[in-house]
Amino acid sequence: MARSITAFGSISRRRLLTTVSAGAALAASTFRINLVQAEEATIKIGFPVPLTGPYGTEAQDQVRAAQLAIAEFNDGGGLNGRKAELLVRDDKLNPGEAATRTLELVEKDKVNFVVGSLSAAVQLAINNVTKERGVIFNSISQSDAINEAADFSKYTFHEALNPHMTAGAVGRYAFPKFGKKVAFLTADYAYGHEMVRGFLDVGKTFGIENLGDIRHPLGTTDYSTLLPRIQSLKPDILCISNFGRDQQIALKQATDFGVKKTTQIIAPLLSHASRVAAGPQAFEGVIGGCSFYWGLEEKFASTKAFNDAFRKMYDGKLPSDYGALGYGGVRTVLAAVKNAGSTDTDRVIAALEALKYDFYKGPQYYRQCDHQSVQSVLVIKSKSKDLRNESDVFEIIGADEPSEANLRSCEELGHKA
Amino acid sequence: MQSSVNEMTQPLQRPQATPVSWFAFATTHRASIAGLAVLAFPLVMPFTALAANILIYGLYALGFNLVYGYLGLLSFGHAALFGTGAYLCGIAIVHFGLPWYVAIVLGICGGLVMAAAIGALAIRTRGIYFAMVTMALSQCVYYLFYEAVGWTGGENGLRGINVREIDLFGLKLDFINPLIRYYVIAAFVIAAFFVLSRILASPFGAVIEAVRENEARARASGYDVTATRLITFILSGGFCGLAGALQALHWSIVPIEILHYDTSGIVVMIALLGGMGTFFGPMIGAAVFLLLENIVSLWTEHWQLVVGAIFMICVLFFPAGIWGTLIRRAKHD
Repeated sequence: MARSITAFGSISRRRLLTTVSAGAALAASTFRINLVQAEEATIKIGFPVPLTGPYGTEAQDQVRAAQLAIAEFNDGGGLNGRKAELLVRDDKLNPGEAATRTLELVEKDKVNFVVGSLSAAVQLAINNVTKERGVIFNSISQSDAINEAADFSKYTFHEALNPHMTAGAVGRYAFPKFGKKVAFLTADYAYGHEMVRGFLDVGKTFGIENLGDIRHPLGTTDYSTLLPRIQSLKPDILCISNFGRDQQIALKQATDFGVKKTTQIIAPLLSHASRVAAGPQAFEGVIGGCSFYWGLEEKFASTKAFNDAFRKMYDGKLPSDYGALGYGGVRTVLAAVKNAGSTDTDRVIAALEALKYDFYKGPQYYRQCDHQSVQSVLVIKSKSKDLRNESDVFEIIGADEPSEANLRSCEELGHKA
Repeated sequence: MQSSVNEMTQPLQRPQATPVSWFAFATTHRASIAGLAVLAFPLVMPFTALAANILIYGLYALGFNLVYGYLGLLSFGHAALFGTGAYLCGIAIVHFGLPWYVAIVLGICGGLVMAAAIGALAIRTRGIYFAMVTMALSQCVYYLFYEAVGWTGGENGLRGINVREIDLFGLKLDFINPLIRYYVIAAFVIAAFFVLSRILASPFGAVIEAVRENEARARASGYDVTATRLITFILSGGFCGLAGALQALHWSIVPIEILHYDTSGIVVMIALLGGMGTFFGPMIGAAVFLLLENIVSLWTEHWQLVVGAIFMICVLFFPAGIWGTLIRRAKHD
């Protein structure tokens, strides 16, 4: 009897000690908070981006910045305690894979929203899947087609710039300054064609003379047969409309051929990652557009706050242009969720349409007819001297202020007024 | 080698000793058994859209295997047949607003016609030359569709193949529902199993293999080798066209990448992995290939490294493909 009491007592004491210590540990740790919150359904945001493939660097930056937007939302208490979660998927820069992944996110993971993509074709594929299923999709890469009535739906939002805006801003800056004789070197695919169309559109206002559009296939490594043809045209301005590695190689070889001595080179979009990869010489003096540059922090408090938060989360690293879009794309959706006080699709759409925001690059809003984010376009010049840090590669020399006048009109896009 | 991989292809065998009778039974009823496997498939997959992709790629590989495994010709241009089926089905719905079943029939016809055109030009060559000619012709098809932006969307791909509801003799099925979409696709794939099984079991099926085994002997026996080759290639185009049409309906888009030579290469990989010249091997190959890619890429960005290593292991330990090696083992047990 006594033995059994002892045994019972000892177990009880042990159990008591275990329970108390576990409870204390739980109370002291942040794990407890997670446990309590796990009971409520999280707000799920699907994030398909090309983690593998030629734009992997940009995509990984998009993920980092999107995670920051999620963390800020959760630290701010979420939606009445409901936390958000990012479901990252690799779309492999392939529209078919992107469609499959989006089906997975919508059908299996039951995401509330989809944000992402880093190619025109991929975003159109995702958009077609989400709009059929009534899921909000906020695209964070460039495309003109996604604004057009055929692809648009009320579920479609476009946080990124489009080629028309980008080329327009660079053209408006460069054409009055450097001359009217313009030659083009263009990657032969949708992005290149849309950029050239944008340049020619804005060029009409300035009366530019189109000396010729020389096209090269994607993934060209040798421009030595194309560059002398361009030089013989004697242009004042050379527009190089390509992206990623093509841009790096074209600019490097153009520098070696001495094109820069007589001609100003402009590009619709200067990618931060490309500039860092190619080094200062190739990009020296090249003028182009971009959606975001961290140097904006001198002008906008929102940029400063975004940069500081990003630095803090990622060991002093600074966000890139595409990274900022990942942040903006997720943050606008979450802000709309908070304003709507719900994740109900129609109420979030209304909240997004009503949103006037300044989250990372100055004031922005979504235009009613095509849900294009009306925003500033920066004109930047690559620099090679006085670099303050490894991300200090551009200087901002101009900007198109946010204005619907710089977008194609709603009628032109096929939307009914 | 030959006798082992042919096991599943010869339903009419001399009566064998009792221990292998279940094997003979399975061989005779291969289409029904394959159909049952397909019906249960979504239960074991991570998500239904992937299961549907596997079915579609399996069907595509099944069509490819008819030419590669049974006829013995390595084609490197099957993406053209797959892609034409997808684009024709998509264009029928997007630009002409035709019903889904007409679009599928058009997709099959697209595959057949494209196969007839490519086959007529390429069928006289063989070996590496056949591979190169088919690849060159499929690149022509790629640029044809790439440049026809008004019809195909070009670089941006064809969007808007939106079928919300399937009307089946008054029965309305919600095509947006993932499981229903899967079973509609599965119905077509199972039908294709029976058609393929019938073709292979027919006298013509025997001629196909006779041509592979010994062309001179087949010719000496009075068979028209060139015609056999061409007809088989065209039939293969029909299966691939159907697969393409189903892919267009499943994704609701057709990306231009579907015509890229990568798509031609993947199907060779799938057929080899599953077991060339076996009836169900291509399905197994598609399942292993797509499943591996899917799971490993969730886990690491360097998924190609892992998947490549696993393929090498498969090649080393399953020389006749996964299914082919299993069949060989079953036969010897």
